[in-house]
Amino acid sequence: MGVGRDAVWPALVSGRSGIKRIEDFDTSNLKTNIAGVCTDFRPEEFFDERELARLDRVSQFAIAASQMAASEAGLENGLLDSYDAGVILGTGFGGQGSIEEFCGAFFGYNKARRSAIAIPKSMYNASSSNVAIRLKTRGPNITITTACSSGANAIGHAFHQIRYGHAERMIAGGVDAPVTPVVMDAWKEMRVLSTKNDPPERACKPFSANRDGFVLAEGAGVVVLEELSAAKARGAKIFAEVIGYGSTADAAHITYPDPEGEAQAILRAIKDAGVSPSEIDHISAHGTATKLNDASETEAIKRVFGDRAFEIPINSIKSMIGHSMGAAGAIEFIASVLAIADQVIPPTVNYEEKDPQCDLDYVTEGARRMNGHVALRTAISNSFGFGGNNAVLVARAYE
Amino acid sequence: MTREAAQSIEDVVKNIIVAELRVDRNQLGPETHLMKDLGADSLDALNIALRLEEAFRIKIPDDAIPKFLTVGDIVKGVNEHLAAR
Repeated sequence: MGVGRDAVWPALVSGRSGIKRIEDFDTSNLKTNIAGVCTDFRPEEFFDERELARLDRVSQFAIAASQMAASEAGLENGLLDSYDAGVILGTGFGGQGSIEEFCGAFFGYNKARRSAIAIPKSMYNASSSNVAIRLKTRGPNITITTACSSGANAIGHAFHQIRYGHAERMIAGGVDAPVTPVVMDAWKEMRVLSTKNDPPERACKPFSANRDGFVLAEGAGVVVLEELSAAKARGAKIFAEVIGYGSTADAAHITYPDPEGEAQAILRAIKDAGVSPSEIDHISAHGTATKLNDASETEAIKRVFGDRAFEIPINSIKSMIGHSMGAAGAIEFIASVLAIADQVIPPTVNYEEKDPQCDLDYVTEGARRMNGHVALRTAISNSFGFGGNNAVLVARAYE
Repeated sequence: MTREAAQSIEDVVKNIIVAELRVDRNQLGPETHLMKDLGADSLDALNIALRLEEAFRIKIPDDAIPKFLTVGDIVKGVNEHLAAR
């Protein structure tokens, strides 16, 4: 899609897909040869050669995105160099690429070499720790891994750090770099990836009856959360307020979604925010484009909102980005915040056929611009992960 | 040891340092300090030790690594390990 808000957000609003053919490894044994790969990301713009040797791609994403967020928030002036500033990142796969490389070196099936930095390069908390090292944040530093809801849970927990006075500023988000031969093969065997390879940008069809699975992606989404009075005191640009977070476990099946667990996460987030379901103006859906997720999520939304479910514009930007796993919840939260800030909802692209199980307003006809008398004030962002890990965030316009 | 063999050990040591630390070969003299002059840290030292073990087929004991401070130290240490083998 691009690097940075100025590249990604306009692309989402214009309905442009970032899904492409995989070119980094042989896909001839796979049924899917497409993914959301960050081809515009140039690591050398952020790191020297020596730094790069120590950083898995996921840490590179994390540092680059965090640095961009800190810079945009006007915090590259020592304000993060504090015990009152922290980092919470979510990731589903951590340093997966490095793990595969080091396994190859150990078992002797690739050209990689054994290394003394295998552990610090591939450990799950490498991303959040590397961000702290780069930005000098000395407060709470935590990694959350709840599969596809990791990024949303990370932002939710960072929100709590600030709400309960453990930190004044938090770098929070999700990161993942799982487009590897091993992970692609593993997803293939679960039969949940779309095989609509041609053309790549049309593959992911959330909520459409002819959807056939998700498209794997890599990426990062990072925000700066700041205690309101601190942000106001320094005249920070405020995109929106985080007002609620809900988290539940299905406690049912390791992969099969349960609409009740999802509905309860939405209800808890709304209750935490101190608003009523009637105040929710937009839902950024988890919307993976698997048969099961989209039907279950639609049912969950109906259980929470009743008849009003049909009136709420719901989108899935995974239709364009693909499913970036632990990053998805953070990227989608950012999209919901920017939707509030710019009063425009990006479309769900590639919608082609009505599905009786998915009969809500999925913003399928292009971006939806609010027209003055109907403002977009409060939005929720849904994230539902394997393991039955559900996380929902509520954002509100700052007025 | 012949002068040529000694020269080649020094060459291999320098190649390893250049590759691991991404430094200019011209920076490396016998007194060049890996940490103070080249910015290496303990993880770099471990990786250099690993590469030395592979290149010279030696086993470097844990307590020898902290003594590998300069290029000269490493060349001397490798020579000692090779002689003791």
